[in-house]
Amino acid sequence: MSEFEKVEYKPKPVREILLEMKNLSGLMIDLAYSAALFNDKDLAEEVLELEKKVDTLAYLLDMTIMIAARDAEDAEALAGVAKVAGATDKISDAAADIAVIVKQNIGIHPIVTEIFEKVEEHIARAIVGEKSVMTGKKIGKLNLTGRIGVDIIAIRRGGDWIVNPSNDEKILSGDILIARGTRLGISKFREIAEGKIRRIVGVKEDAAG
Amino acid sequence: MQQDSQERFKEIVEKFVELKDTSELMIDLAYSALLLNSRELAESVHRLEEYVDKLHTEYEMAVLLSRFKEEEAKGILGLIRLGVVTEEIADAAAEIAETVLRGIEPHPVMKLVIEEADETVTYVNVSENSPLVRKKLQEARIPEETGMRVLAIKRGDKYIRPRPDLEINAGDTIIAFGYAEGEENLKKLASPNEFGKSDQAGDPIS
Repeated sequence: MSEFEKVEYKPKPVREILLEMKNLSGLMIDLAYSAALFNDKDLAEEVLELEKKVDTLAYLLDMTIMIAARDAEDAEALAGVAKVAGATDKISDAAADIAVIVKQNIGIHPIVTEIFEKVEEHIARAIVGEKSVMTGKKIGKLNLTGRIGVDIIAIRRGGDWIVNPSNDEKILSGDILIARGTRLGISKFREIAEGKIRRIVGVKEDAAG
Repeated sequence: MQQDSQERFKEIVEKFVELKDTSELMIDLAYSALLLNSRELAESVHRLEEYVDKLHTEYEMAVLLSRFKEEEAKGILGLIRLGVVTEEIADAAAEIAETVLRGIEPHPVMKLVIEEADETVTYVNVSENSPLVRKKLQEARIPEETGMRVLAIKRGDKYIRPRPDLEINAGDTIIAFGYAEGEENLKKLASPNEFGKSDQAGDPIS
């Protein structure tokens, strides 16, 4: 039996809540497909965690909207916001449905994964170790995109998510990084994050990856 | 026999990739429709939703007709569920677009959420003599050259997500958004004959 968080109203701008819902739901789709196609249970777990977070945000948004509407005009304008928030919530539910395919060991037919690997980029998660060369460095400085063709698309720091982090974002020890890239780039990325590789050297890959 | 099954699954994968890409593209288009309060984009999303329904049926048929073996049943179930999810995502995108079609003025909050306002969406045809033809999106450097960001490429009835390695063809329609100055630049780049002749002082486009 999963536990449901009790949602209490706290003042937070509608803009911030909706933006977070939009960003998280978008990230979840990417993570979920990757989890399913490459049978990655860790990623599936992240998606299910995120889904809870989005659900909580959806409640909070509803409450905020109710308080914000003072007259018919407000209500008309805010109905659109509620509808859009509802749609982002549906998107996050859809992503969670994909994650469940992995979690329940249903899986995707292996031939499909095999063909898919050729066309799709990999997404993977890595935990930043204390000894990693990444620790304490800004993303822009690491230039992972240029060197190994890997983009960091999100950072989980404790319970907080930073989606599409900027180049100025500093990586800390213990961060969980979600990155996208070719298969080779991603495996290199993992080793760098975990501190197994102490120097970032470019990987040579042909176009086929 | 193995070869044969590879072939059959190839069709399934192709259909799935299209479902997945189209549904995700719809989300991008739907948010943009909202941001730009563009009925045209919102209508595109609605048309795509119908297209996805059709595609989803074809995909399910292809999966069911794959003559899978008993031990493959789970993997097949996974494929069916994936298809359902793409359809759900497409529906969610259509709901976002619907708010535009219903004429609900986007709440100011929405514009803050979906980035800067004051931008417009533009549809630009790529003519034969455009330097963009046969270039990959990555090489075309459209954002750098014009300031416009590409939302999608329309090719015939299909909408294609702007992946870096997507090659631009003559006859494509580029759907992009940005500020008005960028729109002119993009038109000159995509259809040089119609727009390039006037020797305006502007950013040189090579």
